[in-house]
Amino acid sequence: MFSLPTWTRLLSLVFAITLALGAQDEDIAERLYQSGERAYTTKSYTEAFETWNQLLQSSPKSPFAAQALLRMARHFVEVENKPGDALPLLDKLKANHIKTPYAAEGMLLRGTILAADSHKPQELKEAMAEFNRVLDLFPDHPAVQEARYQLGLAFKIQGQWGRALQNFTEVMRLDPTATIAPKAQLQAAEVLDLMGDLPGCLRLLQGIRNQFPQSPEAAEAAWRIDVRVKFRIQKPPLKSEGPWPQGKQKWLKTPILLAVKPSGSLIIYQDGPDQAFLLKDTELVPVGTAGHSAKALLLGPHDQTWLVSAKQGLVREDGTFMSLGVFSAPTGAFLDAWGNLWVGDSRASAIGFFPIEGDPHPIPSPSAVGLAPLPNGGAVLASDSNRSLMFLDAAGQPRITIPYGKDFPVPFKYVVALCSDALGHVAAIVDGEFEGVAIWGPDGTLLRSATFKTLGISGKFRAIALDHQGGVILADRSNDLLIRLN
Amino acid sequence: MRNRWHSPIVRLLCAAFLCLGSISAQDPALKETFQQAKALWATQGDKDGASSRFEQVLAVLEPKAGSLSSDWVQVLCETYNWIAVLDDRTPAKRARVQKDLESILALNSDFDIDRNITNARLQGVFDGLRAAKLGRVKLTVSPDGGSLTLDGKPSSLGTGGVKFLTPGAHTLAYAKPGYQLLEQHLDLALKDNKALDFTLTRTSSTVTFNTYPTDAEIYLDDKKVGITHGQAPASALPMAAKLGLTAEQLSSDFVLGDLTPGKHVIEVRASCFKTKRVSLGEEFSTPFADHLLEPMKLEPSKGSLTISSTTPSGELFLSGKSYGSLPVNDLQICSGTYDLQVKFATGGFSQRVEVGEGKAISLQIRPKPRLTFLGFANTDDFAGRDRILNMLLGLGDRLKEVAYNQPSPKESAQDAAERLKASKDTEMTLLAVPVPGKPIHQIELILSTIGGEEEHYLVKPLETDPLESLVTKLNAQITLSEPWTGMTLLDVSGEPGPWVVQEDAVALKAGVKLSKAITTVNGKPVPSVQAFRKILKEFKGDKLTVTQGDSSTTLALSTQPVELPINASNLCYPFVLADLRLRYLGAKGDDAALLRLDQALALMHFRQYDKALEVLRDARMSTVQGVCQGTLDYYTGICLLRLGNVYLSEAAQAFNQALKYPQATLFGPEGPMVSILAKQALEDLKP
Repeated sequence: MFSLPTWTRLLSLVFAITLALGAQDEDIAERLYQSGERAYTTKSYTEAFETWNQLLQSSPKSPFAAQALLRMARHFVEVENKPGDALPLLDKLKANHIKTPYAAEGMLLRGTILAADSHKPQELKEAMAEFNRVLDLFPDHPAVQEARYQLGLAFKIQGQWGRALQNFTEVMRLDPTATIAPKAQLQAAEVLDLMGDLPGCLRLLQGIRNQFPQSPEAAEAAWRIDVRVKFRIQKPPLKSEGPWPQGKQKWLKTPILLAVKPSGSLIIYQDGPDQAFLLKDTELVPVGTAGHSAKALLLGPHDQTWLVSAKQGLVREDGTFMSLGVFSAPTGAFLDAWGNLWVGDSRASAIGFFPIEGDPHPIPSPSAVGLAPLPNGGAVLASDSNRSLMFLDAAGQPRITIPYGKDFPVPFKYVVALCSDALGHVAAIVDGEFEGVAIWGPDGTLLRSATFKTLGISGKFRAIALDHQGGVILADRSNDLLIRLN
Repeated sequence: MRNRWHSPIVRLLCAAFLCLGSISAQDPALKETFQQAKALWATQGDKDGASSRFEQVLAVLEPKAGSLSSDWVQVLCETYNWIAVLDDRTPAKRARVQKDLESILALNSDFDIDRNITNARLQGVFDGLRAAKLGRVKLTVSPDGGSLTLDGKPSSLGTGGVKFLTPGAHTLAYAKPGYQLLEQHLDLALKDNKALDFTLTRTSSTVTFNTYPTDAEIYLDDKKVGITHGQAPASALPMAAKLGLTAEQLSSDFVLGDLTPGKHVIEVRASCFKTKRVSLGEEFSTPFADHLLEPMKLEPSKGSLTISSTTPSGELFLSGKSYGSLPVNDLQICSGTYDLQVKFATGGFSQRVEVGEGKAISLQIRPKPRLTFLGFANTDDFAGRDRILNMLLGLGDRLKEVAYNQPSPKESAQDAAERLKASKDTEMTLLAVPVPGKPIHQIELILSTIGGEEEHYLVKPLETDPLESLVTKLNAQITLSEPWTGMTLLDVSGEPGPWVVQEDAVALKAGVKLSKAITTVNGKPVPSVQAFRKILKEFKGDKLTVTQGDSSTTLALSTQPVELPINASNLCYPFVLADLRLRYLGAKGDDAALLRLDQALALMHFRQYDKALEVLRDARMSTVQGVCQGTLDYYTGICLLRLGNVYLSEAAQAFNQALKYPQATLFGPEGPMVSILAKQALEDLKP
């Protein structure tokens, strides 16, 4: 039994169409649909598609044709992983069956495909139009919640935090028990932090833990609370936990780059084997392809591990390369939310911007000794020549500039390594009069800092990462080990 | 029987008697007339007075002779007897005497005339008539005291065991508890003279007793065997007196026969009394004998009921009997199970309550929405129609939050819907509509408020429990508030308990420290926010003590409003709306305003933004943080936006109003701030 709000009026239309078509035709249409469905269930996809295509030819106006179009489109997205092939089917569904409830699901799917394929705001507009159509044409359809969520994501990626929040809260208001509600709440929390409402962010994150304790979002909320509270509220003095993990010494071969995956796993690039490794418990598992003398380690689409080196440029996980042109001294790189590559360079007075489509172009900036992404779609750049940390927006424009050594007891002159986390915290290994580690908040506020001396550690620390437990991982290339600060 | 309507005076008298309207053969006044007639003749020798009264009795009973009970047959026979005696003394009427006597025999062949008042001549006439029209049977019975049936009807043994019966075949049976019933068939010819012997064989022991009260249920070894009734004879007075009772308060003898060998337990149950159990040893069943027990006196059993409601005008009914208007305080009632019902001006409340001996039940109730099942929209037949219909008729037994009403069998669904809409005798209706198809295999259930807000549910009549989802939704209790201590707590790794990240002025004043973990609540360790919330939910008091490290703080426990979701899959919105409207009756202050807000949200579910707006405008909250006036203003703005471009300036005004409450939140005390969303809404409104 399921409830049917007002959109069942549309179902009545389906029945009306059914009557108009004649019972016999409709009977055949239903049988063809069910026959295809049976074949599909047994994974006889060819047979299923043949049957459904027959249905589309014999009864193109039937509601069962609408169902068949939707099923075939879903197949291309979910099984074949060819979302592009689903679009013509969804166009047909929209054109011929706009009055059926299946059109709502079709438009939602179409919008989601278009959104995933968008690489700039202009491209996202069509996707957003589809989501808005779901809201306008089918206000009572269950797809409305998902459409709202997708709209929220679309606004978020464009940096329109307020509008993103409106849509995420709407999802929460509609049905707080739905499985999409904790996802929306997690996004709303992150948006609130981006808007500067840390308490509001923490309240919503804790709300996920209270209301959906078993959900993946609750686990995500847990570390996001921990890190924010530790970095921005508790701010305990940094202390060294010594070699990590489990006190392991001399177990690496010249570790020089670190990165943390969205799941929280650590990736270590070692200069010895010229290879990145995933740390699983205490074991190293090679990931990605080998890359000589990598200068930057970044996460590609679908959790891939990519490298950037001076000679080879961008080295993808499948071994393909991309030249970075004039950016021959890379010091940091990342893919933004649209899939565009940003490269920091120590010699160029610009950030290399390599869009996923179109020609690369430089974003004017001081030369960078480090570049790391920020959750607002922009980046943080460390410039020794300018002696400042620059917090850039999604367009690469500096929004906050923090002079080196601001709020430090003694200034530092150089940034040896720079990193950020998904929450917008920035950490750096710094050198100069102040030789040690520092952590800044998303607004550039100095949160925590300590010299190597006070930490009681020494070595050639060349890479830094922020983990999901509020710790700082340092890679010591001379002693071939990692040290964790807490 | 002859027609006695020949005398104008008698006819007039009888007509007058009948014109009293309420006179019937069962009227006690008739018996009184009969007794007066006998007394007038016996004590005063007033023959005319006696005759006229006997004629009155006869005028009433004679036309109904065929349907009279045995008691009244006896009265009629005696009346004929008396009239015959009196007529015999009046020469003009003497000719009618034989017919009087024949009427007796036609009525009851067993009846014997009163030979003390009847002269020898008349006796001779009666005996002669009887001998000429009937056969004679001489019965011998052993033991005495049993019961005789003649052709399946109770019958007397007759004078000296002699019975006069109409010629033909008869079946006589003689029975007595503790003995085997004996049945004999008899073919009796006219003027026959036969003898029958009923000597019974003993088969078991019997136990005889009386009860107080009468009408008590008797169980033998947990099996109901009968109900006591009647009154004990005056001879039972000594037994009754021992128990502080009169003989009339005791029931007549209850004989428990067929007591099989072995031990037994007798249980006596009566409503309003404590159940009594008596064990019988083996000696009661063997050897076979008749035993007389002491009377069973049950002690009274009562409980008390206190019922109040914030909603005015409730009238209490217990199992259909009115107990007046609410509140009812400490109402003493017999222990037992009652169908408790409270009728309000709108809405109703019903609950089955078990009132235990000496127990006090206290209920704070509120009217529940009434849901009236209208029946099927048409007469289409389909497999499972009766099944789903029976399930829908029995739906009320599964609903806890709704007062369920059955359809009227004489009324069509449409007529019932129109009547209910006009009378407002229900808050909701439920209509079953078979979905067209060949065959029909789906039913659309339309659940609607009387105002027209409706939801549709598709069910398959043959699925295991087609109504399960609807029942769950109608039993769902909406949450309108949650416990609140003024602290926003987080689970932070490494902390020993919920960590205080924010606090309101009350918690601050109480001494709660920010950025510290709470380790115990009322002395109990509290490792997480969930554990803390669980304690709050279950806590019944109004103050609790929390510890943070070494310091303890006493906090006042309050509640904070939470919003109703707009489209929750676990809620039935017509029910939610009807329920909120009823809750609003009698609500005051912020409670009333919160109910208005939730009503508005429920109306937003139906996209009735104009109605929602009216409801919101009717509400005013005094609080300034959490879900408060700022929240109301924000939703006012949202409703105005949804009404179209005409109201954009009013919407902006509402959002600006919301900004005056910087601590206002959405959803609950820990939801997102209204101000952020109101600012964005204002931003969106800029040209």
